[in-house]
Amino acid sequence: MAEQNNAVLPKGVVQKEFDKAIGKFRALLGEDNVLVKADQLAPYNKIMMPVENAAHAPSAALTATTVEQVQGVVKICNEHKIPIWTISTGRNYGYGSAAPVARGQVILDLKKMNRIINIDPVMCTALVEPGVTYGQLYDYIQEHDLPLMLSFSAPSAIAGPLGNTMDRGVGYTPYGEHFMMQCGMEVVLANGDIYRTGMGGVAGSNTWQIFKWGYGPTLDGMFTQANYGIATKMGFWLMPKPPVFKPFEVIFENEEDIVEIVDLLRPLRMSGTIPNSVVIANILWEAGSGNVRRSAYTREPGHTPEAILKQIQKDTGMGAWNLYAALYGTQEQVDVNWKIVSDVFKKHGKGRIVTQEEAGNTQPFKYRAELMSGVPNLQEFGLYNWRGGGGSMWFAPVSEARGSECRKQAALAKRILHKHGLDYVGEFIVAPRDMHHVIDVLFDRTNEEESRRADACFNELLDEFEKEGYAVYRVNTRFQERVARSYGPVKRDVEHAIKRALDPNNILAPGRSGIDLDSYKKA
Amino acid sequence: MTHPLNRKAAKWLLVASALPFVLLAASAQAKDASQWGSGKNLYDKVCGQCHAPEVGVGTALAGRNLPEAYVKFVVRNGLNAMPAFPASFIDDESIAQVTRYLATLPAPASQP
Repeated sequence: MAEQNNAVLPKGVVQKEFDKAIGKFRALLGEDNVLVKADQLAPYNKIMMPVENAAHAPSAALTATTVEQVQGVVKICNEHKIPIWTISTGRNYGYGSAAPVARGQVILDLKKMNRIINIDPVMCTALVEPGVTYGQLYDYIQEHDLPLMLSFSAPSAIAGPLGNTMDRGVGYTPYGEHFMMQCGMEVVLANGDIYRTGMGGVAGSNTWQIFKWGYGPTLDGMFTQANYGIATKMGFWLMPKPPVFKPFEVIFENEEDIVEIVDLLRPLRMSGTIPNSVVIANILWEAGSGNVRRSAYTREPGHTPEAILKQIQKDTGMGAWNLYAALYGTQEQVDVNWKIVSDVFKKHGKGRIVTQEEAGNTQPFKYRAELMSGVPNLQEFGLYNWRGGGGSMWFAPVSEARGSECRKQAALAKRILHKHGLDYVGEFIVAPRDMHHVIDVLFDRTNEEESRRADACFNELLDEFEKEGYAVYRVNTRFQERVARSYGPVKRDVEHAIKRALDPNNILAPGRSGIDLDSYKKA
Repeated sequence: MTHPLNRKAAKWLLVASALPFVLLAASAQAKDASQWGSGKNLYDKVCGQCHAPEVGVGTALAGRNLPEAYVKFVVRNGLNAMPAFPASFIDDESIAQVTRYLATLPAPASQP
């Protein structure tokens, strides 16, 4: 296969300069760790967004194995003004996967930095490198019989904690707000300095993974969803494995029930009676992840008619809304909380409670229970088979945990999706006060016309939600500049002032979250 | 089908022929030299998470005698919703191992 010469170059970099940089990368990392051939780069360019792969094609990919090598890479990038896009495991599906935000950026792949540096089963902490996956951690915990439990996102078997946390992803256990559980990170800055947050700068400290705040400004959050540094280590807290775990589902028949579900649930989450990140999944999320395919009901284009959704409910016993939660603790604690929780739903009378004993090994209960108890799987990828064709974008507006708000958002999203001939496939991930309203905009990426509709749909979702005062908490690389505008000009000015101070050559992931010194114009 | 020895394999052969006792250790190491250690391990931890017949998310792969070149192409490029994996995640040797492992698995029983 041919090299990428004259095919893909970083923006503003001429071939001669690029070749010089590649030569230095080879001297630093070795020939095998500097990838420039088309077949080597193809895996980094597999995207699910409604745009040509070429728009997110890398010019090269580098694999580093040490912090010193990462320092060497940024030094070369500064010398030749080469922009780099860093990935840890590259599994950010529906948010851009492994591909760079802009064509031509050089990927810095840290998957080979995959050491579990420390797990402390007494203090329940971990310190890992970027390439460590949740699956790897799970195996380690099992092999060493440690009394600990992981929290992770749905692509748990292959995604990793550092990448997920740096993108502020969430999971389904009581530790499901992953950035809240992060404690201490090591970051290589654009000038090559190694910065450790929290207590990490104190020589001889043993509290780097214990105490988050350190002294003075606490900057950890500044490095998430950002391009101010390259995280090379991250600490986080692990939940002690409870003696008893009791997952359950409550099935609701009607779409309008969402108002009451949320208002019933909020006090239980707020009080900690239900401690985990509860999920309320709609019928199509439930069906897709339970291996139901649209083609079994219709092959007509456009959104799936309500009559079919009702038929799926009838055929499968799934609800219009399906609530998954769990209780954790000793038998006595679980018994007390189960009585409180089940009494609430029984008194309400509309939901049908399903326990582990009743569900057995049926899907999607099985994978939901696994996600809530830290057992990795990939069952939720069944969503991609609902419509087929490999197109997926997460539209994830933040909502109040208030029933009327959730109904309003769900109705608004559904109207826009249907207008563009797509389905509302959504779930609410429930924190005590907020909801991550996560909608999978699924489309057939092999169909150009449907891809164009998906793109128009996503733009309209962003526009119409913004008019109502809503914004997404995270978005794929195609829309990061657009979403940055939702959060106002002052925030953007501040972010670019920080960028100028820390990365004046704009080498670290320019364009990430709309932060790019070359293209940003102060309003 | 035969493959020319690569430099690494030729080196192993040279060492092994001179030192028979080293061969045993070398064989054991060669088996573990891939990133995932064995085809079974890769299948259990990654591929089978979607493609195992009991999961049903991806097409069943077992017992179909898929050619290694085909498996490698799909792993590297992805296919529709199937993600792509670079060599940093799944190396070539692991792909070869999982291809051989898949061939040893019985094909799932056909649905009535």
